[in-house]
Amino acid sequence: MTKKLLEIQNLVVKFGGVTALNEVNLHVNEGEIAALIGPNGAGKTTVFNIVTGYYKPVSGDVLVDGNSILGLRPYLIARMGLGRTFQNIRLFGDMTALENVATAADALNKSGLLSALFGLGRSRRDEKRSMETAQSLLEFIGLDHRAHQMAKNLPYGDQRRLEIARALALNPKVLLLDEPAAGFNPQEKVELGDLILKIRDKGYAVLLIEHDMSLVMKISDRISVLDFGQKIAEGTPSEIQKNQRVIDAYLGVAEDAS
Amino acid sequence: MKAKAFNLRDIFGDWWESATPIQRGITRTVVIATFYALPFLNNPVIDTPETSFKSVLFYPLVLFALMAVGLNVVVGKSGILDLGYVAFFAIGAYTHAVMSARTPLNFWEILPFAMGFAMLAGLILGLPALRLRGDYLAIITLGFGEIIRIIAINTEAIGGAAGITDIPGPTPIFGFEFSVMDPRPYYWLTLTLLILVIWGVLRLSHRKPGRAWEAIREDEDVAEFMGVATLKYKLWAFIIGGAVGGLAGAIYASKIRSIQPELFTLNLSIMILACVVFGGMGNIWGVILGAVLLGYIPEKLRFLSDYRIIFFGLLMVVMMNIRPNGLMPRKKREKFQEKIS
Repeated sequence: MTKKLLEIQNLVVKFGGVTALNEVNLHVNEGEIAALIGPNGAGKTTVFNIVTGYYKPVSGDVLVDGNSILGLRPYLIARMGLGRTFQNIRLFGDMTALENVATAADALNKSGLLSALFGLGRSRRDEKRSMETAQSLLEFIGLDHRAHQMAKNLPYGDQRRLEIARALALNPKVLLLDEPAAGFNPQEKVELGDLILKIRDKGYAVLLIEHDMSLVMKISDRISVLDFGQKIAEGTPSEIQKNQRVIDAYLGVAEDAS
Repeated sequence: MKAKAFNLRDIFGDWWESATPIQRGITRTVVIATFYALPFLNNPVIDTPETSFKSVLFYPLVLFALMAVGLNVVVGKSGILDLGYVAFFAIGAYTHAVMSARTPLNFWEILPFAMGFAMLAGLILGLPALRLRGDYLAIITLGFGEIIRIIAINTEAIGGAAGITDIPGPTPIFGFEFSVMDPRPYYWLTLTLLILVIWGVLRLSHRKPGRAWEAIREDEDVAEFMGVATLKYKLWAFIIGGAVGGLAGAIYASKIRSIQPELFTLNLSIMILACVVFGGMGNIWGVILGAVLLGYIPEKLRFLSDYRIIFFGLLMVVMMNIRPNGLMPRKKREKFQEKIS
């Protein structure tokens, strides 16, 4: 049986009186690209904000590699193996590309402030590790030539990819991508698809939120569909394409069937 | 490849990077020696009217610079607006004043306590307060600055509103006598400590803690998502800022020999904050320049008597319009490379 690296069980989330997610079950298997799709406002990003610890659910559980993460601070969850990107790019604008990635790589280092101040060997080794991780990730996404430019001055597409590199620096068990193709032209979308496949082949599981159906259908191993906070379907790309409830959710149902 | 930028900062930066360790060492030595030699300078252009230049060098110049470097870790690096920095200064000053009277310890032995108590205050204030952000946090720090002063006024055991007098100066060290009449040893002492603090802060800035602080300043939520223990690093910023403030306070008390709560008002917090903002938030050299200028200009304008504050304010308004990010902003030097492919 394949291992579930991320598992969401009976998740209920409410904002005031609004039920954002209702009894949602989701999981991401080892080595797969799982996609989460649904119309705007279906609750996709809320799922990310729950599993990364930003919001607290009303009930239900979230397991990362079998361990519940409920109640943990976001930075601890990140260190347990969840790296995410953001729908609206949120890089550290005034830091260089290399520093952006190194900041996330630092999270896995044990040495703290005092050992950095007194120049202990542990801190020096950790510094070297962070820098090497960051450098190799920039090479991986093809941004090593921009390592010393400020993140806010990078072209849009490079910023999107830098966010992915930064999330990978946490060496995540599951990489959470929130609409990585937003604003991309068709050619860039193809390149992004190849990059995500490459990331999967490196051994990272991916949970992908995306509106671009051709991309989702091409690279996903499994797709879950959310609508109004409910999971309405789950299956392989070809199953989802034929599912009547999914088609209704996206296109709407005719009110009078005359 | 972008055209070669032409400004002093890049010219110096490029030279510094290409310099050999020996050249760098010589540059450092010359710059530091120049600062140590400043009290011997006797130049009518630089000299301040009415107050002796030697005492201006100690207070406000180098002491402001020390405090500005400490506050810069909090405000400039980590992006936490602290309006009550004077509290740490006051704690340091009172620690020296009280402990020198009641314990057999001398100034040098009290210094670690002054820093320690200020750090403890930073921890106690920060633990609850740093869970808040932005304006709310600023208001709490503002309140903290006032609370410390008001506690001092109302605690008879530490002199109440009259304060503490007859505070001893530092005991002689390395042949330097610390007398009331000669401000130069105090200047050299503070300069030495300032250099040590700069060394420490730069060291932290270039490693994990510096990146964590900057990430928190840029986007606290994202920093947390990227595994940065934000509360811990914000607390560290507060504690380090507090330690430097306490250090400055203890030196100040040992120099002026008598302290009253009214020395530690909000004005001083704002003044140090102004040094940081005016010089360039987040850039350690910028805030030192800011502290030196904002300390020096009012002294230079002293011939205008009380009107000098108006001119000083006007000058700041004009400057902040010309350079809204400060004299030397924290902008990083970017390096552009051709893509090899």
